[in-house]
Amino acid sequence: MSEYETHELMVCRIAEEMTATGGYVSILGSFTPLAYAAYMLAKLTHARDAWLCGFNAVGVPAVQLSFTGAEAALYRGAQARRQFLDNARFVHVHTRGLMECVSSAQLDGDAAVNISVIGDYDRPTVRLPGAAGAPEVLQNFRKVVVYFARHDTRTLVPKVDFVTGRRTPISGAARRAAGLAGDAPVTVVTPLAVMVKSEDERPFALQSVHAGVSVDEVVERTGFALEVPDDVASTRAPTAAELDLLRTRIDPFGTVQFDFLGGEERIAYLKKVLDRERAHALGRLG
Amino acid sequence: MDKVRLLADLPSLIPRGSTVGLGGGWFANHPMAAVRELLRARRDDLRLLALIGSIDVELLIAGGAARHLTFSMISLEALGLPPAFRRAVQAGELPITEVPAVALQVALEASAFNVPFSPLRGADASELVTRHPELFGVVRSPFGDEETMVVRAIRPDVAIVHALRCDRLGNAQHDGSTIYDPVLAAGSQRVIVTCEELVTPEETAEHPHMTHLAGYLVDAVVHAPFGAHPCSHVPLYAVDAWELIDYQAAAAAGGDELAAYVERLRVETEEEYLTRVLVDDRAAMLAALAAAGETLEPT
Repeated sequence: MSEYETHELMVCRIAEEMTATGGYVSILGSFTPLAYAAYMLAKLTHARDAWLCGFNAVGVPAVQLSFTGAEAALYRGAQARRQFLDNARFVHVHTRGLMECVSSAQLDGDAAVNISVIGDYDRPTVRLPGAAGAPEVLQNFRKVVVYFARHDTRTLVPKVDFVTGRRTPISGAARRAAGLAGDAPVTVVTPLAVMVKSEDERPFALQSVHAGVSVDEVVERTGFALEVPDDVASTRAPTAAELDLLRTRIDPFGTVQFDFLGGEERIAYLKKVLDRERAHALGRLG
Repeated sequence: MDKVRLLADLPSLIPRGSTVGLGGGWFANHPMAAVRELLRARRDDLRLLALIGSIDVELLIAGGAARHLTFSMISLEALGLPPAFRRAVQAGELPITEVPAVALQVALEASAFNVPFSPLRGADASELVTRHPELFGVVRSPFGDEETMVVRAIRPDVAIVHALRCDRLGNAQHDGSTIYDPVLAAGSQRVIVTCEELVTPEETAEHPHMTHLAGYLVDAVVHAPFGAHPCSHVPLYAVDAWELIDYQAAAAAGGDELAAYVERLRVETEEEYLTRVLVDDRAAMLAALAAAGETLEPT
């Protein structure tokens, strides 16, 4: 069994959600490096025909994650280029959106996410970056995957300070009745566990815990009610092949770590990543 | 017809109190030369509109140029929360209107279609919808019982976008990220295009499929090489993350350090700015970084 890091397990778990069948589109949304790694992994393994979009590039191949180089690579490999509004029509507000992972500051037991403010909206303690497309993604996409770099009661809260977005309804039957796509649960992936919410009237359920994590620890560190089945699964470990792909081809510069670092530590890490990217670019110039 | 103007004339094209829409998104293709020129003009009166803003909006806020901001996200990505935006909003100094990204684009499109509002299958449960009744409503279908969310038209006074090539007629061509620029331009009263290269209409017509903004929508054209810097302009140059790191350090410090960073931008010309920041082999490096991104094939 290969040694792996928690973030690699999370990438593999999210990659499983990218199912390839049909003309459904997954989108590289605003700065979610762990999600990008998952999409690329899926695209290189079980979901080779999956539709991926990034920026104005549509039908892109997997690209090497790179703070400076990924945008250009997406265009170089793209099968199509579309305006944002074109994508929005079919994907964000129709039924063709498959996945666009969201990572937010807070999530609550109703599966509401908050990327707007901590504290009062009009005079916040922390003004966060803002909604981007998350409200429409959460409402309309076939699948919702939310991931966090931390599993604690400050992140997983009883009630978010502000509802930037919330999927409603969640259950497949209710969504079909409302003309909405999707019957997958809201899936939440953290460094400790995977939780899912399938029904509007029932809380999140604990689907699996990662190796070395106890159920009690997960429940204690979750600020909302969690249904715990009798037999909680163990989140599967990444395979050697997946780890090799992630480490040598998809993310050799280590951009997924950006999700796990903050403040000055993250800037220091960014400088290291940039040094590696610069060396790579210079190497290609020969 | 010649719409070509000098960068130094750009602020005079923007009346006081204008709502100014900035093109680009994330760290891609924001009209940064235009942003710097507005700082040089010491504007303090602008109502900004940005879909997914970053250093463009940050600098204008840091430079005291913004009276109001309409946006869906302002982020510095790996560099963390945007300090000037965060500080100004937390202090109650900058009124904002946060709008879900698709709704904001549909609002611009409604303006382009010359209708007062457009239906949208939007985010019903978002508090952003309920707190902005001046932007969102519900209408009943004239053809049945169905009720649909509607979003009101938003019409910026001026849109500023950055292109790869533009001609004197205003035909703007891209070979990379346009982000939401076409709908921003179509929904705005007037459009200013800055461009890496000025070309003739004959050269435009050699690759008409690259013209994402037809000249009839455009009012002014400004030649601004590296005009997106420190943001990227694919395929020419990647994001200048080193310059962004310098900004972040000044903005996090705030006070005199941030003021000095902004003042330096104000007093130097655009040529002096580029000479200063594209130091040593920076320009070649940014081009190399844009070329170095790898696509991966399954094995």
